[in-house]
Formats: sequence, C-alpha cells, structure tokens
Amino acid sequence: MTLTDVGLLSQPVLAGLAFIAALAVNDSRRSAIAGTLNALLGLATAATGVGALLGEPGSLTFATGIPGIAHLGQLALAPDRLGGIFLVVVGVVGALSAWFGVGYAHGATATRAAWAAYPIFLWGMSIVPAAGDAVTFLLGWELMALGSTVLLHSEHATRPQVRSAVLWYAAMTHLSFVLLLAGFAVLIASANGTTWEALAASPPTGVSASLAFVLLAGGFATKAGLVPVHVWLPRAHPEAPSHVSAAMSAAMVKLGIYGLLLVTLRLLPDGPRWWAIGLLVLGGVSAVYGILEASVTSDLKRLLAFSTTENLGLMVTGLAVAMMLRSTGQRAVADVALVAVVLLVISHAAFKTVLFLGAGSILHATGERDLDRLGGLARRMPRTAFATSIGALAAAALPISSGFVAEWVLLQSLVHGDTRGPTADRVIAIALPITVAVVALTAGLALLTFVKVVGIAFLARGRSPEATNAHENPASMTVPMWVGAGLVLGLGLVPGWVAMVAAAAVGASGIEPAGLAGVALPSVNALLDPVSLVLMSLAVAVPIAVITVRAARKAPRRTVDLPWGCGGVRVDPTMQYTATSYAEPLVRIFDDALRPTRDLDVTHTVESDYLVREVAYRQRMVDQVERGLYEPVIRLLWRIGDQARRLQDGSVHRYLGFSFAALVVVLLVVTW
Amino acid sequence: MTALAVAWQILVAVALTPVLVGVMRQVRARLEGRVGAGVGQPWRDVRKLLAKEPLAAEGAGPLMSAVPVILVISSLVSVALVPLLGIATLAWVPDDLFVVVSVLLVGTVALALLGLESGTAFGGMGSSRHMMIAALVEPTVLVAVYALSVPVGTTALSSILQARMSDPTTVISPVSLLALVALSIVVLAETGRLPVDNPATHLELTMVHEAMILESSGRDLGWLELGSWLRLTALLGLVVNLALPWGVAADLGVGATVIATLAFSVKLLIAGSMIAAAEVFLAKVRLFRVPELLAGSFVLAFLSVTASYLLV
Amino acid sequence: MTESLFAQTVATATGLLMLTAVLQVWRRSTDASTRLLAVQGAALALLVGAIGLAEGHAELVAVAVVVFALKGVLLPWVLARTIARSGIHREDSSAVNPVSGLLAAAGLATLAYAVSRPLVALDAGPAAHAVPAGLTLVLVGFLVLLTRHRAVSQVIGFLVIDNGIATVAFLTAGGVPLVVELGVLLDVVLVVLILRILSARLELAHGELDLHDLRELHD
Repeated sequence: MTLTDVGLLSQPVLAGLAFIAALAVNDSRRSAIAGTLNALLGLATAATGVGALLGEPGSLTFATGIPGIAHLGQLALAPDRLGGIFLVVVGVVGALSAWFGVGYAHGATATRAAWAAYPIFLWGMSIVPAAGDAVTFLLGWELMALGSTVLLHSEHATRPQVRSAVLWYAAMTHLSFVLLLAGFAVLIASANGTTWEALAASPPTGVSASLAFVLLAGGFATKAGLVPVHVWLPRAHPEAPSHVSAAMSAAMVKLGIYGLLLVTLRLLPDGPRWWAIGLLVLGGVSAVYGILEASVTSDLKRLLAFSTTENLGLMVTGLAVAMMLRSTGQRAVADVALVAVVLLVISHAAFKTVLFLGAGSILHATGERDLDRLGGLARRMPRTAFATSIGALAAAALPISSGFVAEWVLLQSLVHGDTRGPTADRVIAIALPITVAVVALTAGLALLTFVKVVGIAFLARGRSPEATNAHENPASMTVPMWVGAGLVLGLGLVPGWVAMVAAAAVGASGIEPAGLAGVALPSVNALLDPVSLVLMSLAVAVPIAVITVRAARKAPRRTVDLPWGCGGVRVDPTMQYTATSYAEPLVRIFDDALRPTRDLDVTHTVESDYLVREVAYRQRMVDQVERGLYEPVIRLLWRIGDQARRLQDGSVHRYLGFSFAALVVVLLVVTW
Repeated sequence: MTALAVAWQILVAVALTPVLVGVMRQVRARLEGRVGAGVGQPWRDVRKLLAKEPLAAEGAGPLMSAVPVILVISSLVSVALVPLLGIATLAWVPDDLFVVVSVLLVGTVALALLGLESGTAFGGMGSSRHMMIAALVEPTVLVAVYALSVPVGTTALSSILQARMSDPTTVISPVSLLALVALSIVVLAETGRLPVDNPATHLELTMVHEAMILESSGRDLGWLELGSWLRLTALLGLVVNLALPWGVAADLGVGATVIATLAFSVKLLIAGSMIAAAEVFLAKVRLFRVPELLAGSFVLAFLSVTASYLLV
Repeated sequence: MTESLFAQTVATATGLLMLTAVLQVWRRSTDASTRLLAVQGAALALLVGAIGLAEGHAELVAVAVVVFALKGVLLPWVLARTIARSGIHREDSSAVNPVSGLLAAAGLATLAYAVSRPLVALDAGPAAHAVPAGLTLVLVGFLVLLTRHRAVSQVIGFLVIDNGIATVAFLTAGGVPLVVELGVLLDVVLVVLILRILSARLELAHGELDLHDLRELHD
C-alpha cells in the first residue's frame, strides 16, 4: 500500500469522523474536536498529494449505483502529479484554516451545521484534483459547493448581507456547475468512457472542441473568480467566517486553475490560437481590474477578495502565454511560464491563507474589518501584525517572499518569448509586451494596496476605540498564521526544489536548482538565489548595524511630546490618513474606470456662510462590471418573472386548462 | 576576487554619492545666483546627523529606526548589483534587472510605511503620493527592461552592458534611445527630482518624499538621506553607463578598475550637473499631471520594445 | 558612407521620427509642437540625405536639402509666426485626455509595426526598418487631426501625416521621382500659407480659432 493509497482511504474516514463529531459533541468542545479532526483531514489530503507527487500510484474506486437495479459505473480517485500539487495546496490550506477555526469559531460559526459542513467542503475539495474521471470530478465539485454554501450561510442571522452573498454565491456556483456539465458532456460524446485517459484519447475536433473549451473555460473561470464572473468573490469572502474565507480563497478558487490546466494540458492540448488569446484577455483584465478594485477598497476582506481575482488573473495570463508559446514551438519558454503558473498557485495559497487568517484575527479582536477604523494594531497585536505583514510582502511580490519568486519566473518567461525578426509570430510579438505592461501595472498597484493594508491597519495610532482596545488572540489562532507565514518565507527563500516539483507536475523541463537553494532557468539564461541575496544583504548590513549601534550608545533615542511642530497636535488620531484617503489619488486617476459616487456636504455656521462648521464626505465604490453587466440581466429576469406571474391567477379553470393542454400535447407527440 | 570588486564598487558609490548631491546643489545654487554651501556640505550633513540623537514621539514604534536602516541596505544592495564600475558579477547573485528593481522597491515600501507610522496627516499624504508614483512607474520600468533585454536575450545587466561596450553603435539605435529616455523619466520620478517632486521644497502640501520623513530626526534622518541619495547614484549610474558604456571595466584588473572608477565619477557628476542645470528651468508639475508624464514615458518604453523587433 | 554608419544614421532618424510623433501627442503647447515639427523635418531630411549618400544619388541629396529647408525651417517658422500672432499657445480643446491619447499612440505604433511586417520582410536593408515609423507618423497625424480642434493643431497634424507619407515614399519606392516630391512639397507649402492667411482673417473676424466655431459659419 502506497502513501497515496493510505491518504485516499483515510480521507473519507476522517471526513466521516469529523462530520459525526460535529453533530455529536456538545457546544463547549465542538470547535476543538471537530476542528482538530478537520485539520487531520487536511493533513491526510496533503499526504495524498505528496504521495502523488512522488509518483506513487494509488487509487480508490467506488462502485456506484442502486444495487440490483442499475449500475452507474465506477467512481475513481487516482491523482497524478498535477493533481498532487493541488492536493497539497488544498490539504495544507484546509488544515491551517481548520486549526485557526478551533480558536476562531464561536457562536453562529461554531454550530453543528457549520462544523458538519466543513469536512464535506474539505473532502469535496480533495476529490476534485484526485478524480480520475469526469463524473467523480463533478461529484467532488458539487460536494465542495454544497459544503461551502452551508458554511457561508452560518452568520445569516446576525448580518443581513450574508443572505444576499449566499444567493449570489449559489447562483454563480450553479452557473459554473452547469457550464462544466455541458462542457464535459460534449467531451464525453466523442469519447469512449468518462475517464481522463478516455477523454484525452479521442478529443472532439473542430467546432465541438471549441464549444467544449468555451463551456469548460467558462465554468472554471466562474469558480476562479475571473472578471466578469468574479462578482461572487467580493460578496462571499467578506461574509463567510474568516477561516472559511481563507479556505475558499486560498484553496477552492485554485481548483478553477486546476480545471483550466487539466483542460489545456491534458484533455484539449492542441487548440486553435484564439483559445489562448481569449484566456490572455480574460486573465489580463482580471488581474488589472481585480487589483484596481482592491487598491481603492477599505473593507479588508473585500480587498483580499479582489486581490484573489488579481492573482488568479495572473495565473491564467501565465497559462495563456504558455499555450501561445507552445503553439509556436517555443517549448522551453512555455515550460517556464507553466512553472510560473504553478508557483503562483502555491504562493497565493500560502499568503492568502495568512492574510485571511490575519483579517480574521483582527476581526475577532476588534469586530472591525473596515481599515478606516483600524490602526496601531502592531503594538496591540504584534504576532498577528508580523505574520500578516509577511503575507502582505508576498502579495506585493517583494523579496524574499514566495510571491517574488513566482512573479520573477513569470516575467522571465514573458521577456524571453521569441518576438524578433520577420519570422517571429506576429500575435506573440504584440501580446508579450502588453502582457509585461499588464503584469507590471498589477505588481505596482499590488504594492500600493498592501502597503495600505499593513500601514493603515497596523501602524500609527488606532482610529477607533475598538482598535485602541484590541488584544492579541490566543496561540490557537496565531500559530496557524505563523505556520502560513513560515511557508511564505520558506518558499521565497528556497524556491529551488519547489520549482522542481512544480516542473515535474506540469511536465516541464529546463528547471534546475542553483546556488545555495535557488532556481535556475537555463533556457532563458536566468538565475535567482534568494539565500545568496540575503547573505549579501547581511554582509552589507553589518557595517550599517555597527555604526548604528555605536551611535545609539552615544546618543540614545529621546522621547518628546512633539518631534516636529508643524504636524500640529499629535493627540487626535482622526487627523491621520485613512485607507480611503490613501487611495484617493488612485481613485482620481482611474476615475473613468471606477466611477465612484461621491457626496460632499458642507455645513456652514449659522452666523456666516464663510465659516464652515462641518464637512461630510462619503464615497461609495460600486463594481462597474456588476452595474453594467449583471443589473440589466437581473432586471430582465424580474420582468420575465412578472410576466410568468400572469400564468397563475388562482383560477381553477386556468389550471385545468393547463393540464388539459398538456395532455393533448402529450397525446399528439405519442401518436406522431 | 569578484566580491572584492563589488565591495570596492560599494565604497566608491558611498564616497561619491554625497559629492554628487553636493555638486548638483552647487550647480543649481550658482545658476540661481547664490553662493551655495559648497560641494562637501551633504557629506558634512550626513556625518552630523548620524552623530545626533533621534527624537521620537510618544508611542512611536521600532519602525521609526528600522526603516532608515532598511532603506540604506536596500540602496547599498542595489548599488552592489548594478554594474557601475565593472561587469564582473557574483555567480549566485546575478545582476538581474528584475531583482535590482525589486530590491529598490523594498526601500520604496519601507519609506512609505515610515510615512504612515509617523501618524501625522502629512506623513500619510506623502506616503500615499509616493506609492501612487511607484505603482505607475512600474510598467515603464519593466517594459524598458524588456526593451533592453530583447536584443541580448537576457535580463542580466552585465550582459546588456557588455553588448553595448562591444558594439557602441547600438547605443544610438531607436530601441536604445527610446528606452533610455523612458528610463531617465523613471529615474527622476523614483528619486523624487523635478518635475515630479521638489527635493528643496519647504511647503508641506506639495511634498512627496520630504513629507514622509518629516518626523525623522538625528541618526534616522541621516540614514534616510544617505539611502535616498544612494538610490540616485544607483539609478543615475545605471542610465549613464547604459548611455555611455565607455570606461566600464571588462575585467577585474587594477588598472581597468582605476580607469573605471575615474570614468564613472566623471560621467556621474556631469550627468548630475546636467540634471541640476535643467532643474533650474523646470517647475514641479501638478500631482495629477504626473500620471501623464509617466504614461508618456511608458509609451516611449513600449515603442522601444516594438522597435526592437525589427532592428535586429 | 560605410554600411554601419548608414544603418546607424537611418536608425537614429527613425528613432527621432517616432519620438517626435509621440511627443506631438503628449505636448499641449503649440510652441512645443512647432519645435517638434522642425525636429521631425530635420530627421526626415537626415533620412533622405543618408539614403542619397548611400545609394549615390546626387538629386536625393539635393531633395534632402530642400526638405530640410522647407520642413525643418520654413514651415515651422510660418507656423510659429501664426501662433505668435494669434496668441494661442495651448491646445486646450482636445477631445481626449493626454493619457488616453498617449496610449492610443502606442496602440497605433504597434498596429503600424504589425501591418508593415511583410513589407520589412521583403527588404532586409536597414532603410526598410523605417517604414513602420513612417506609417506610425501617418496614423499619429490622423490622431492629432481627429482629437484636436484648434486650427493650428490641425495644420500640425496635417504636416505630421505629410512627413509620414514622405518617409514611406522615400523608403519603399527608393525615392519618389524628384519632380513629384517637389510638387507635393510645394502643395503643402501652399496649403500652409493659405491656412495661415485664412486663419489670420478668421481671427480678425471672430477672435478665436477653434474648428468647433467654424461649424457655426454656415448658419
């Protein structure tokens, strides 16, 4: 029995135990026991992934059907290397989130229903990348959707926004499921069986291949939260309990990327050029739009949700570039792009877990997720602040974090596509520089966004009583964050072997370990060794540190009331810049894209119109995609609904008429 | 041996930086009809500031003293990575342009956090503007990097420079000209020079860089000043070497290094003087016209990439 | 003229043409636009002269001198006079903001490069590489014509288009026949002089020089 087998077998067992424990244990100990079992389920999933990555075969099959009446075929779990990567991601994220939930969940988030839904959600997520055929895949997909919807629903009694979020989420999830169902149906129609091997062996051709691709890409893009089907993310992530937001954002949406990789690498590998162009546009628009919305948002969890759209957009961009390069025979550079996609997946999973858990920790301590009302938390909650800052470092793609490595590999693949000379491909020659610009703008705005998050939430002084009276959370909440932060730094410092594993998962060659723990890309002539960079920085830092320490001994820091007079009074924290004012220049620059609504009320004193007593400023950001695309559709649905209401007017005769008409139609059809 | 060369490069940069700033200030003062404080004044300022005690407000965090040190280290590492004197690089820390940009960004971000940590309205204002400029500069930087890397096939600065040294005519090709103009605008924006930011301003409402460091004093301010100046040396030195690749040492020999040091000093100081002279005639543009300037530089960088496809 | 010097001269001239085209979209000051036009004319003359020297055509060199005199000196000078007389030093009635204009210019340049690729592939010589630059000039000139409303800006846009056409013509046809080119140049000069007189008259009558106001003339 291999590690993969053990993992696959232990998953349903642990999921069942966690489910039973959630229902059976009483309120006081439910979070501890169910949370621990869920964390173990996560670890089992991660172990399965490790097994699959090591290349150990393993499978688990269930025969399904109604005994004696119908046989529906076998459901098979047989993860390959690509699935292994995603199993590890899902497992580690699920385990950290469940661990955090032990301390975090209370009240409405720790009910029987909530903890019972968690193992369903987690197991569903682990079935998807392990599935060996389309039916099992869709089954896992539905379990995942079911579990996450129940979890999202948990705080509906206290906050009315939750209900609207659940509605949006359920609608978009079903849209995704229907698209996938239709897409796989097209694939299965031309194949002999439902397993991936069978589907890949005889793929459809021509129009039906494109139809399948569009349907599947649409379904996976909806789950991945790409523009314009991202609308559920900024609603569901803020309203879900934070540990669930972490699992949804860091693991669940990633399965959309797994789906896209599955389709483009395995099921339909030789698509026409416009597939890649379509994905490139989708990814580029998502990246820029996502981070732009994130940079001007003040709600911390909403901001993180939009940042998820941005990161998923970057992954799809990388995938599209890889497809494009492959189609022109530039395998080596395409491989680098694919490795970048996997590194982005791993990096985003690590840092988004930390950031959402950090947001949860802040929410737990202050009851606030509005950055405008936070501040000074670094002194009140140093452990949360430190871990979250490391997550933000990766989100801003700065060295020495995982985000930096992933973005570096992506950029290297972008600038090394062959674009020169009359023989080079024209589409690539136009697409690559635009993509570089898009990635760069995204990186720049991400920098601003996460400086805003860290600077406004943790630095300076509290902007509300809740922030000034916050207390650090217990270790059960801070330790999972620290583990996540450790992963972020670890991946950033020793990317060598991670990149090797990523390369093996997508069948890429030309990735080598280099330096102390770095990664080399010989095909594009590039090398990155973060450890050496750190050592060099330390060597440079030594003289600086010596000078500073000696000077500090002679002239120590002196604390005064007001170090600099012109700042005026330091006592009033409301004088500080808020998150909204921090992003104000950006809102002005991108006014045409964001179209904020602003209200400015100036109240004058009674004595004179020249004296201002009070200025009230309100700014509301409405998602322009939602306003332009969804509101008309929703209005149309309402209108159709109104029309349909006319069919029912309560008259018995009309209902009898319907039945009669139906009967006649059926008889006509039968006799035909 | 290479490590020694890198150490020498850092030493030269640190020694030259206050002189560069002094020359720039002196040129400007003379052109404006003032006597000026002398070329050595920035050096004396830094020495004085480093010896003085920093003042801290009640409840100010450790970031107030950590950020200046981080900024200096980030600037020093980028000075070490950029081939200012010679093209020899450390084997495991290549002078990859993306890495250089990221290392500089660490300093940018540290400064922005310092502005917020001070907890005053001006600090936040400066930080917000600083990050806005940094965010919008990013596309120009990376596209210009792309343009420079296309003819060479690598983003390693030393290889780019070597190609220019072996064939100096490539320097005046459209690719290179457009990329250099774009990069120069970036350097002005990143180092807070006119027309993006006025380093000599005393009016808080127009400040960007100065607003963030208003609360710092003594040793902290000394490091902050030195760190920001070193960024100027690194970036200006890079552009100068790309524009005039002559004199850069091709090997680690002592003779070549001495020539390279002299050549670099002369090139840098002349470039600095030219910027200072130009600044006399420039006014700071409105903050919301800075994006226009950056969009212009972006388009130049982009055209440079487009042009690079054809001029093989 | 050596091969590499020729290639470099052509490349520099091409770069200058592109640079001035972009700056033309960027700058709002009509004075600056006029100076840019002068630089553009000089770059064009440099290009023509280099081709003439490289291919040993004496008349092309002569054309270069004429081009420089007309496009580099005379026309900008006339324009500068017009601007000085009218007192309009800024184009303040543009239809798009500078950032959108610049991004549009970048898009047009990319389009020009993509379109002219097959042309460049035909001829591997360095001169062929300036074809996309000429095309860019034409497109950017149209952009200026479309988005700006001052009469002076219209003339500038028109001249940019003319420069672009001249660039493409010189490079692809190995030089338009001398007579034709000189004839065209003369036409352009006439157009500019007529516009100059017209604008002076209009200005006397209306005091403003915005094409939007011209629309009201037919009432």
